[in-house]
Amino acid sequence: MRYTIETCELTKKFGLQKGFTDFFLHPFRKDEITAVEEVNIKIEKGELFGILGPNGAGKTTLIKMLCTLILPSEGTAHINGYDLVKDSGKVRRSIGFITSDERSFYWRLTGRQNLKFFASLHNYYSNDAEVRIDELLSLVGLKDRADDEFLSYSAGMKQRMAIARGLLNDPAVLFMDEPTKALDPGAAQNLRGFIKEHIIGDEGKTVFLSTHNLPEAEELCDRIAIIDEGRIKVIGTLEGLKDALDKPDPGLNDVFLHYTGKEFKEVAPKRAYSGRRGVMRGFRGGRRGGLRF
Amino acid sequence: MAHLEPYGGDYFSFVLIGIAFSGYLMTALRSFSESIRGEQMMGTLEAMLVTPTDTSAIVTLSSLWSFIFMSFRVLMYLLIGILLGVDMSNANIFAALIILVLTIICFGSIGIISASFIMVLKRGDPINMFFMSTSELFGGVLFPISVLPEWLQTISHILPITYSLSGMRHALLQGYSLSALAPEIIALSIFSVVLVPLGLLSFTYAVKRAKMDGSLVQY
Repeated sequence: MRYTIETCELTKKFGLQKGFTDFFLHPFRKDEITAVEEVNIKIEKGELFGILGPNGAGKTTLIKMLCTLILPSEGTAHINGYDLVKDSGKVRRSIGFITSDERSFYWRLTGRQNLKFFASLHNYYSNDAEVRIDELLSLVGLKDRADDEFLSYSAGMKQRMAIARGLLNDPAVLFMDEPTKALDPGAAQNLRGFIKEHIIGDEGKTVFLSTHNLPEAEELCDRIAIIDEGRIKVIGTLEGLKDALDKPDPGLNDVFLHYTGKEFKEVAPKRAYSGRRGVMRGFRGGRRGGLRF
Repeated sequence: MAHLEPYGGDYFSFVLIGIAFSGYLMTALRSFSESIRGEQMMGTLEAMLVTPTDTSAIVTLSSLWSFIFMSFRVLMYLLIGILLGVDMSNANIFAALIILVLTIICFGSIGIISASFIMVLKRGDPINMFFMSTSELFGGVLFPISVLPEWLQTISHILPITYSLSGMRHALLQGYSLSALAPEIIALSIFSVVLVPLGLLSFTYAVKRAKMDGSLVQY
């Protein structure tokens, strides 16, 4: 196994719900939207790979597919040598998923109780779990607050707790879905330092990180893939991507413009998938995707 | 009164067993789908499903407390019944436990099928609707099914709750032996043989369908 993560033509199409009239007028027509299209990625062990794109570009769908939460429509993928679909249980055993959604914890439980619960789902019990949880709480700097209720934590502490949870099973691969999304600039900077120093430096994990934050991608990632409208436009090191541009001292924003033909902030997700309801809202002229740059 | 003769002739005892044990069906119909819905609404389901623990194990174990609590409630009902004069001195506890295990297997499977519908449709689960609306009326909870017109009794005979309550009353109130309870045990076993694989298959399909649709955590 040369690559820790390897995808081949990985594609996800979602069926759109039919309206009442369509149901009768076109009963056999299948309306689909392509959220992720023919993605080919090869990531080596210990690499911090970033996937950069605006909201609705397909980053979260791609990560959820790689975490076995969404089944691909076409293509294949292997994580740690395990087939994403056939060996989904083994894939889950070898990965950690860190989401920016702070609702993914039980707010009335303490930080330690939350970790104990998720440790039991990873088949860690009693002493093994206690030892591992103590290690992780020290690693993320939350040992002193471990017995406080989760609801009393700041956004940064909640995100650190999400990292501790993602590391519970000592996974070879960590998937991070916009880990600094809910943080203020100071807390985000701290977290980036933590990821670089501890997750990569001390723990040596392979990290697959999605972000729509240019400085974050520039600061953290060994290699970057730019995704737009579900397609990977380019993959390379930041230096490599910049070298391809005929511009002095280009930024990642210029790289995005060069490879997608669009300003990062101008991207409106006409085709982009943001859940069925999101798509329907988009078609009805509602919110057209959040743009954070 | 003649309709109550097969159950010992006492209406209070009859209805006590009916209300107590029909609670298991209501628990099964609610707990599995509510455990999924609850985790979806709290936002914790995704974090649970990315662990190696199987989805079906998560749903089953999340509902375990509801069944334990229901068992405690049934015990309380029976104790109060005894204090109020219900005669269970001849009860065949072993036979009652066998009926109870088969009942929980049948009702649990129905609950898992119901949860499968919730996972795919999100709302409007037809299984829950069917069993909720028919079981109390046709399952012999509040009155013996023999008081119903014969053509309506056909509905009673396709409901597992009918055999479950009948067996439980015979075992607890009249102390029927296992051989005397054979019709109920055989009927519940047949229901189990059909419903358990059906429940597992439907849930596996529902999870696969939700993962295809990307709607696993939507509610």
